[in-house]
Amino acid sequence: MQAFFDVKQRTARAVRLLFLTTLISAAPAVIYAQEDSQREPERITEPNLSVAEAPRQNLSGLEWLERLAQINRTSNFEVSFVLTRAGQEMTPYLWRHAVLEDGLEAEQLNLQNGPGQEMIRLGNVVSVFEPDVQPYSIYASAISGPLPSDLLYNPTALTDAYQFITIGRTRVSGRAAQQLRIVSRDNKRYNYQAWLDEETGMLLKLDMVDLQGSLLEQIQVTAVNVSEQPSPYFSRINPQALPGAVAMTPKPRQHQWEVKFLPVGMEEIKRETRRLAMTGQVVEYKLFSDGMVDVSVYVQPAQDSLDSDVVLRHSTNTFLSLTNGQVQITIIGKVPPQTAYEIAHSIGAAGE
Amino acid sequence: MTQQHEKLSAFMDGELDDSGFVDSIKNDSESLAKWRSYHVIRSGLRKEASVMPEFDITAQVAAALDQEPTVLAPKSKWKSLPVVNKVVPFLRQSGQLAVAASVAAAVILGVQQVNQQPAAEEPFTTFQTPVIPGMPQTGMAPVSLEQSNIVPNNRAGDSDALLQKRRQINALLADHEQQLKLKQAEEQSQRAAESEPNQP
Repeated sequence: MQAFFDVKQRTARAVRLLFLTTLISAAPAVIYAQEDSQREPERITEPNLSVAEAPRQNLSGLEWLERLAQINRTSNFEVSFVLTRAGQEMTPYLWRHAVLEDGLEAEQLNLQNGPGQEMIRLGNVVSVFEPDVQPYSIYASAISGPLPSDLLYNPTALTDAYQFITIGRTRVSGRAAQQLRIVSRDNKRYNYQAWLDEETGMLLKLDMVDLQGSLLEQIQVTAVNVSEQPSPYFSRINPQALPGAVAMTPKPRQHQWEVKFLPVGMEEIKRETRRLAMTGQVVEYKLFSDGMVDVSVYVQPAQDSLDSDVVLRHSTNTFLSLTNGQVQITIIGKVPPQTAYEIAHSIGAAGE
Repeated sequence: MTQQHEKLSAFMDGELDDSGFVDSIKNDSESLAKWRSYHVIRSGLRKEASVMPEFDITAQVAAALDQEPTVLAPKSKWKSLPVVNKVVPFLRQSGQLAVAASVAAAVILGVQQVNQQPAAEEPFTTFQTPVIPGMPQTGMAPVSLEQSNIVPNNRAGDSDALLQKRRQINALLADHEQQLKLKQAEEQSQRAAESEPNQP
């Protein structure tokens, strides 16, 4: 009788033990299931793009960039990227874009290292917050960051100066990507390679290479999140608290000189006469742009100029300064030194 | 007897709540021997056995302990002096600290070495004499753009000129950057002024 009870007791214990072990082994599975359900909303959701249905293999370079422009204008996304320049530390950026409920476009670009720099765009007003400078707002249809705004929003404006060549499929940032080359039509400027996400059309990587093909600047996207809803960040912006936009009324000036050589597709977008903020020198100034790069031309009297000619590279900018008789001519921009030299030497008196 | 053994076995497994059973074993020498050998067997089965049954020395140890004289005044050692006792662990600790600190220093040194820029003296790269037709090669002077960079003061006149030059180059570069930021501002403000006449 006693033995029988022993056996019974032991069986009961064994059953209890079995139950416990199953519980313990099942518990992690339950936890994993919970984690999975938490991760769910963070996944990239494919937006309903009409372009996405088209066969992507047959898209031309320009069509790829138009797809990029469309998603950049119409979707809600959050992109992290790093900017690397030869011989410099890399700088990380956070870039958010959203279309708010009232149809207003909102954009944010944040420099993530150091004291930082924050630029917020609501519609056509860009507010800039940076250390040591009073916050200010200006009118602009895009934030001027490390990515050329025409490439992101208006690729057709680039077709005069550059051609787009599709290279093929590769893998970038862990995603299937389409590789494009952006080549200047006259070989007078640096060239680019762009990688676009096949699924969403987002930009994943952009390289700027010199004419020999060595890398000057690289933008590498590290995270992309395209979402249905705008990021909660934008709901925290109080438009009333942003500085009021300053209107910049252009004062067109007549200069006694003009630039006679410009790379194909480059146009004058600004000319004025003003004082330099740091030294107070009076300069005559023209700004040229082809959509990807901007070139500044300064002309100033030779008496308060540098006493010798200077060519140097400041990060990716070429700085070229020539003293030509009575005037000093300075060219600054992301162009090869040969091109800067050609531009400087083409400057002559207006009307000749 | 077999029932007794079975009870003993159950007791060892903790499955018997009979408190009187313990007393019944204590008074039974055969049961006590069984009790001990059961434990040795269990340890053996669990591969914990450090004592084999034939090497059971517990009895001898107990006898030896009984015979040992009691020491009333133990011989004092230098380590047991209160001051030494406090200093020695401190010394030992500081030695460990020193080792830890030297490891940290080595780590920092290593990081610095890894992070070292190839050309720290040169904040930018001047062009390796680009071949431009018609341009004097000697006219290209390398100029540092780093404002915080201190110019060696060996020749006062030269450094003044250099500083002046740097200031001018910096002014132009800063102006260029500023213009790029404001590039879009003008045409956009025109448009904004047209759409909102009340805007300042």
